[in-house]
Amino acid sequence: MSLDLIVDGERWRAHLRTVASSTPGLVPVAKGNGYGLGLGRLARRAEWLGVDTLAVGTYDELPEVASRFPGSLLVLTPWRPWVAPLAPDLQRRVIHTISRPADLGALTARQQAPRVVLERMTSMRRHGLSAAELWDTAPIARRRARIEGVTIHLPMTGGNLAEARRLMDDVVGAEASTVWISHLTLDELRSLQAAYPDITIRPRVGTGLWLGDRGALSVTAKVLDVHPLSRGESYGYRQRHGASGHLVIASGGTAHGIGLAAPSGDAGLRGRAAVAAKGGLETLGVLRSPYVLDGKPLHFAEPPHMQASMLLLPRGTRVPEVGEKLDVRVRYTATTFDSVTVS
Amino acid sequence: MALTVRPISAEEHLAYVSRQRSVSFLQTPAWARVKTEWRSESLGWFRGSELVGAGLVLHRPIPRLKRYTLAYLPEGPSIDWSGDLAEWLDPLAAYLKAHGAFAVRLGPPVRTATWSAAQVKEGVASDDVRRLTDLAPEHRDAAGARVVSQLRAAGWLAQSPEDGFGVGQPQYTYEIPLADRTEADVLKGMNQLWRRNIKRAEKEGVEVTVSDPAAGRARREEDLAAFHDLYVHTAQRDHFTPRPLSYFRTMVEAMSAEDPERIKLYFARHEGDLVAATIMVRVGAHAWYSYGASSTEKRDVRGSNALQWAMMRDAIAAGCDVYDLRGITPTLSADDPHVGLIQFKAGTGGQAVEYAGEWDLPLRSVLYKAFTLYMSRR
Repeated sequence: MSLDLIVDGERWRAHLRTVASSTPGLVPVAKGNGYGLGLGRLARRAEWLGVDTLAVGTYDELPEVASRFPGSLLVLTPWRPWVAPLAPDLQRRVIHTISRPADLGALTARQQAPRVVLERMTSMRRHGLSAAELWDTAPIARRRARIEGVTIHLPMTGGNLAEARRLMDDVVGAEASTVWISHLTLDELRSLQAAYPDITIRPRVGTGLWLGDRGALSVTAKVLDVHPLSRGESYGYRQRHGASGHLVIASGGTAHGIGLAAPSGDAGLRGRAAVAAKGGLETLGVLRSPYVLDGKPLHFAEPPHMQASMLLLPRGTRVPEVGEKLDVRVRYTATTFDSVTVS
Repeated sequence: MALTVRPISAEEHLAYVSRQRSVSFLQTPAWARVKTEWRSESLGWFRGSELVGAGLVLHRPIPRLKRYTLAYLPEGPSIDWSGDLAEWLDPLAAYLKAHGAFAVRLGPPVRTATWSAAQVKEGVASDDVRRLTDLAPEHRDAAGARVVSQLRAAGWLAQSPEDGFGVGQPQYTYEIPLADRTEADVLKGMNQLWRRNIKRAEKEGVEVTVSDPAAGRARREEDLAAFHDLYVHTAQRDHFTPRPLSYFRTMVEAMSAEDPERIKLYFARHEGDLVAATIMVRVGAHAWYSYGASSTEKRDVRGSNALQWAMMRDAIAAGCDVYDLRGITPTLSADDPHVGLIQFKAGTGGQAVEYAGEWDLPLRSVLYKAFTLYMSRR
């Protein structure tokens, strides 16, 4: 009765090794649902990779990773005054992100000499200090905190090198010797490092690391039931009718994230089609499901239920057996698996 | 109190310059008299009635654009570059726009990075290093980075070419720091070849003389002619176009009138033959090796090394912070035609310096676009 993630362990670990060895200064990111793999597992893998720092998304995620990864823990969400004080053993390990000048004063009033990175606003315009704020805040951070560098969060549109290079002037202007950076390709990182051989670059990588080799991952559901369907027979919560063939009841529903794909900013038809294929119900009016039988995507008979989905099998298609596995194409960051098995 | 910008007299400008530790010689009122083909003006920054900054603006006319000019402040202006630049540059841009400029070009006298002589040497020797910037600088200047960042954010456009000498002032120079250093210390910083050549010139009996600013007109003309003859000879040998004698006459007269110590001609003679001649310029605590010439005969008596050493010693004696060997290209490939120049300069010890470079602020965008198109087609 489940939606299962199966990881080809050898292949996955080889990929992790490859990324780590080709990305000097790598900071793995473990946040949210742990990219479908779970935060705890990623924390242990980070230790196995031998990195010195792991990034988490929020303060709430710290307990999950802190006992499994022994190194420094960078919290990506900027510190705010309502963040609860850290346990003493975590205070030494956690690196806070400061994105407003006033927060530095508030944090240092609560914790002595905290470790901090200063976030510079980028074209993302999500969080961050202006250049002038960064330059004013850096000397204060040097006096009252342990400054670990400047952090830069770039958009995912690609071609971020020009912006990264421009922002390096602000990093140098803050007299920082380390820059934490996201969303640059390996070539872009190499080029940036070549231009700034005296600055330590810490690339933060999540998706490209954990999910970078999709071939190492497979997601399967089980066929729970199969019923023949004649035209005119109604079915489901909504009592629809009109279709004929077979109804396939498969494990996996809204509780797993099936059919609840995150809205995609990808405006192109191909992008929208990809979202639809991963379970978005809103597009094209076609209820394409993420379930795949014999390489072909199946259609939803009706919107997915909480833990199962009703799929429509057209006449003439091979009818699967109860207990047979179906491949499922999911958005890993938005899916909750019943089990994760690493071989 | 907000800063205001208005024209100042050459006298006020000069008085301001003499109060500074150093200002580029391209930012002295005398330079306006050297660049007579361009209209020029001295501008002052005032906080209330106090003059707190100054710049020499050369108005570069553009063919067929009678009313509008490119307002150029080479290696300037001389302002406080350490804080919020909008306070300084906004009133400058507003003044220049109101007075017919279609763009401002300036060259902040601000360093962004330095590399040691040893690094330059290592870079030339290494096949992996193509450019100075491939090497981690010995020092990266935070204040310089803040200037670059602010200019870019305020819409200024970087003009410095990636490689080589552009049309403007060079972004990379070679300098010998002199502050708190003795002659012995500076000599020790040179490579063996340089020290040997300086000694060689002494042993050969090379005689160094310096132009005397107090000497009369006849003597000055004699010195200028001697320098210029050798300079034209050098130009023919090294295939560059020499400037006319009148250019140097104007330069010496205008700069000496400002300060008798401003510009000096150096001559090296061996048994009565002129073997090398150079010009040194000094403004406050900054000395520049400005022009050089050498004979093709008797190169082994090392007249050029003797003159460099004489100029350095005079700069030390004058209390200078910097002896400036002027521009270099940042290319370090052993096969680059300019690499010999940087190797020669690096032999003196000292450091390669990267400056913020030249930046344009378009004030009338259509005219500026036409201007950049015109420049790219020249």
